[in-house]
Amino acid sequence: MAAFANGDQQAARILTQRLLPRVLAQATRMLANPTEAEDVAQDAMMRLWKIAPAWRQDEAQVSTWLYRVVANLCTDRLRKRRGGLSLDQVAEPMDSAPSVAANMQTQTRMKALSDALAQLPERQAQAVALRHLEGLSNPDIAQIMDISVRSVESLTARGKRALADLMAGRKAELGYDDD
Amino acid sequence: MTDPKKDDLDDLFADMRNLAVVPSDALMTRVLSDAATVQPQNVVRDRPRQDIWNRMLEAIGGWPSLGGLAAATVAGIWVGVAPPTSVQDITAFLIGDQESLELIPTEVLLVAGDFVDG
Repeated sequence: MAAFANGDQQAARILTQRLLPRVLAQATRMLANPTEAEDVAQDAMMRLWKIAPAWRQDEAQVSTWLYRVVANLCTDRLRKRRGGLSLDQVAEPMDSAPSVAANMQTQTRMKALSDALAQLPERQAQAVALRHLEGLSNPDIAQIMDISVRSVESLTARGKRALADLMAGRKAELGYDDD
Repeated sequence: MTDPKKDDLDDLFADMRNLAVVPSDALMTRVLSDAATVQPQNVVRDRPRQDIWNRMLEAIGGWPSLGGLAAATVAGIWVGVAPPTSVQDITAFLIGDQESLELIPTEVLLVAGDFVDG
């Protein structure tokens, strides 16, 4: 970060190679839409470039900061989606691409899960996504969301219950009856 | 007793965690292009602060100047202590020869005798 802020052009490439894959993955899991995920990833990285000259922390905290930024940008997108979509709508599968899961049914389920996340209160959606889609620990999530571990536990428990209920209404559509 | 709804959800979570996502070359290019537009250029690093002695030394031109100043000082003292003949001649020419003036004639002092306390 310091090298980037001092004008080292190679630093931008190194930071991009190191951070962009995780940023894009987080956005893809929350949004289940490659185009939207790329826009969020680009936006998050732009915010990183802009804050770099003022950065005074070590790199471990860059990833914490990025988790928070991406989660916020994704819930902004989910909020907009909430206004335009209902869960009765059939989730369109994601565009097929070599880097994305090939299984169409899984893609349909992922889109359905993302739409269900959009129905949750934003903090619940963020906590559930960080816990279950990113696999982070509760203390890490507490740091990212700047709340207590107990609050994280409460948000993830309520969020997961709500998601399960929302997804249960679409079991047949999502092919769970055939499993 | 397990909840089938949550089992399905846990399976889906696991699938999503295992999702392989690789940024496209186009996205990498866009991100690096963004970086180039906002990256500070030609950053001048702050010069380390100097103490007052170093700043004074720098004001007179650094160590070489200090050496010349020291040499001139020594030469001046030496000329003052043991002036060469040529300097004495020039001094005599400019301000005249050295002359002594008695304010109290020696004879008067002899008549007065020694000074005694009391």
